[in-house]
Amino acid sequence: MQNWNLYSRGDKLFVRINAVLIGLFALSTLYPFIYIASVSFSSAFAARAGKVVLTPIDVTLSAYAHVLSEPQFWNSYGNTFIYTIGGTLTSLLIIIPGAYALSRPQLIGRRFWNLMIAFTMWFHAGMIPFWLNMRDLGLLDSMIGIIIAFACNAFNIILLRNFFESIPQSFEEAARMDGANEFQVLWKVFVPLSKPAIATITLFCVVARWNGFFWAMILLTDEGKVPLQVYLRQTIADLSDDEEFSSTLIDAAYSVETVTAAIIVCSIIPVLCFYPFIQKYFNKGIMLGGVKE
Amino acid sequence: MSGVLLQNIVKAYGAAQVVHGINLTVQEKEFVVLVGPSGCGKSTTLRMIAGLEEITEGQLSIYGKVVNRIAPKDRDVAMVFQNYALYPHLNVADNMAFGLRIRKMPKPEIKQQIKNVAEILELTDYLERRPADLSGGQRQRVAMGRAIVRHPKVFLFDEPLSNLDAKLRTQMRAEIRRLHNRLGVTSIYVTHDQVEAMTLADRIVVMNDGRIEQVGTPMELFMNPANIFVAGFLGSPPMNQMPGTVTEKGVEIDGIIIAVSGNLSAQVGRKVIVGIRPEHVSLQKEKGTTALPINLDLVEPLGSEALLHAQFGAHQLVFKTETQGSIDHLSDVSEVYVHASMVKLFDAETGEALPL
Amino acid sequence: MSNNDTVYINQKSFKEKLVWLLDHFKREWQIYVMLAPMIIWFLVFLYKPMYGLQIAFKDYSIFRGIEASPWVGLEHFNDLFSNSQFLRAIKNTFLISFYSLIFGFPVPILLALMFNEIINAVFKRSAQTIVYLPHFISTVIIAGIVITAFSPSAGIVNTVLSWFGLDSVYFLTKAEWFRPIFIGSGIWQEAGFSSIIFLAAIAGVNPSLYESAVVDGASRWQMMWKITLPSILPTIIIMLIIRIGNLMEVGFELIILLYQPATYETADVINTYIYRQGLQSGQYDLAAAAGFFNAVVAFVLVMAANSISKRFSRTSLW
Repeated sequence: MQNWNLYSRGDKLFVRINAVLIGLFALSTLYPFIYIASVSFSSAFAARAGKVVLTPIDVTLSAYAHVLSEPQFWNSYGNTFIYTIGGTLTSLLIIIPGAYALSRPQLIGRRFWNLMIAFTMWFHAGMIPFWLNMRDLGLLDSMIGIIIAFACNAFNIILLRNFFESIPQSFEEAARMDGANEFQVLWKVFVPLSKPAIATITLFCVVARWNGFFWAMILLTDEGKVPLQVYLRQTIADLSDDEEFSSTLIDAAYSVETVTAAIIVCSIIPVLCFYPFIQKYFNKGIMLGGVKE
Repeated sequence: MSGVLLQNIVKAYGAAQVVHGINLTVQEKEFVVLVGPSGCGKSTTLRMIAGLEEITEGQLSIYGKVVNRIAPKDRDVAMVFQNYALYPHLNVADNMAFGLRIRKMPKPEIKQQIKNVAEILELTDYLERRPADLSGGQRQRVAMGRAIVRHPKVFLFDEPLSNLDAKLRTQMRAEIRRLHNRLGVTSIYVTHDQVEAMTLADRIVVMNDGRIEQVGTPMELFMNPANIFVAGFLGSPPMNQMPGTVTEKGVEIDGIIIAVSGNLSAQVGRKVIVGIRPEHVSLQKEKGTTALPINLDLVEPLGSEALLHAQFGAHQLVFKTETQGSIDHLSDVSEVYVHASMVKLFDAETGEALPL
Repeated sequence: MSNNDTVYINQKSFKEKLVWLLDHFKREWQIYVMLAPMIIWFLVFLYKPMYGLQIAFKDYSIFRGIEASPWVGLEHFNDLFSNSQFLRAIKNTFLISFYSLIFGFPVPILLALMFNEIINAVFKRSAQTIVYLPHFISTVIIAGIVITAFSPSAGIVNTVLSWFGLDSVYFLTKAEWFRPIFIGSGIWQEAGFSSIIFLAAIAGVNPSLYESAVVDGASRWQMMWKITLPSILPTIIIMLIIRIGNLMEVGFELIILLYQPATYETADVINTYIYRQGLQSGQYDLAAAAGFFNAVVAFVLVMAANSISKRFSRTSLW
């Protein structure tokens, strides 16, 4: 907008106060992360006594040593990667061709198919019938079940379909006249042209998979199959149960608090690594699906 | 053998018919331009030839082969789109190679083809660039290059110049025509711009409302429009039109009789529309001309020519005349002269040209 | 190739239709191959459970299965509506939603307005990066952070209270503290990210409006309230309608992680009730009935919201 030097004194003051307020908000958003990280590096005693405020007290890596020596931690961490990568790939494999087909004007029953998908955003059978269905399908306690059963959601499909529809028809026509079949049109023209939209739904899938815990908790009974979030939940449950017996662990180098904090940190790190790459896409992506003219 | 043959081609969307049974023969190596106002069915017709729209009824043949139910890729036609449809993720060379790769042409051959075409179109220095880094004219050339590399039997152009500014459009227009002269491929070109139609075409097809109004060479259409629509559509500014009545000596408009060449005796008393092109009047009295008394109200200099806006009775007319370096002498013009052979008569009801 | 295809069929005889259809599939079979996996997925994982929803009206037992279980009409619904726990869950669902709306909805709008006034691009981008981050964090981690921070002995909140000489409070066992904590953590997690949509709306405001305001001598403060806010009002109203349409969707996953019997009074919502009755106690039919009720109310709300927003803005949400 305007040049800073042309701002009135009142405006300069306003802009500065505003910047300070935003800075404070950002810091308060960040604070819980810093706090948790500090707890994870603090001694059990300091954490237990509530001494950690901003920086670690009596810095120690014993919580991490404990977490990283748990085979179950590594196992669930690995499972999370399997669910995230496998689930996201499955999603893309179903959603990309499906959304493309839905965006084609020549598809017979196009309105019907679109409605069938959109309807699931407005009405769902709910937890119990879904669970019973999973049981009937024999997908309880199954890694494949987790990967397949959460592969699609209407929002991502509609988002991508809208993007495909916004690509000028002449691209498809040109490719067709060049001799491409539908698979080639999709793979060689539409997919490269839709990178922002595909990146966005990939992001949504990855985040949902990485963070997903509820159904994994419900559907998986075998400890060897659970993802990190379920493992973390178990630890947290211990944490809240443990309040009454807070003295039991007081002598150990690590406590439930520091261990939980350490697992949280380990679980956030991949998100933080992934985060910068996706950031440029999500501004666009949110708008893509959201409100359609 | 004809290049492209349209027999009774009909296009309907449900109950709405948009192309009402058109017949057209495009000769081999001919450059035919379909022109008409938007919504006249010219683009739909082109897209039916391309295979992008189904043909509701009628028969379409390309080089003697009926192609109604043949997929676009197997029709051996190539198309240049209005928005070029260049793949933004591919560079110029890959854009041109796209169709050849899909057709599994061997790599060295593709390379050779692209090299040749790039030379023809002066794109050799731009082969590595993405479309976004090209100017409008260069994109236009790439779009043509993509069509040319495939050596199709027929080129289809769908308003390819409409996204360019006026200057580039003139330049590219000439380039397209030169290219056609050089390659000699049967071409069908759709535009709403009558200047493009006039300058490019071997023959022009004027379409209106899903029908063909007239087919002919540019000069035929200009000099002898078959009806009021063609007369009004071609030419800039458009032909002046006034209602009149045929008499023994000529045509009468508001009490003034204008001489018309041809035999009028069979038409006496008929209500007509009198058409006079702005270019077809002179300021000097000559043999065979009729004087039109006018009230000049505006002179618009265009450089070598000027437009005269004038009242003729109750009619607002426009004339075009040469300036000879100055427009001073035009300000007191009170009469213009029109030669009998330049007065066109159209039936007042049907709009068809009168056979004289 | 537009929507002519279907209309075109209607005009033809049956045989011609068939020929046309065969021709169509021969030409276009590929898009149906692309569509099929997705449709099958929807049928198997979302529509088949809808068929299973009939157990809400049946005396369901795992051994008899869905079809063989006898119908009981509205018995489960009668039970539910005479059950004080379920009524409490309905009340809590609406209250938590309502408070989240009141306290949570204005925050992202305010944030967007404020972000718009930031001049330093680097500062703006870094601040945005930070406030978007919690959106990408798992519910379990949020719960972990909340539990750690509000812990009676170790938590930072009680540490701060002790600085002021206040007694430590075991917040998570106090019913009156549940909603503020839950709604607060919701705002912390989502306010930043939700501001994106308003920022996008602000980006769409015609810059010449600001330029003419500058020429007219308006201050930044005035421009924010007189130009930016009115310009994004349609977006605000649409988002508000969507929020109201989604009233039934309370983040029950976080509730499951945070609540305990001591806080059921204020924390137990319909979905957590379903979870306990159905998945923990095995009363599938009763829980399915509660789910059915929940889904129907949600459906009506969403449909109403959609049609209102359509009328309001002529912009359909989907």
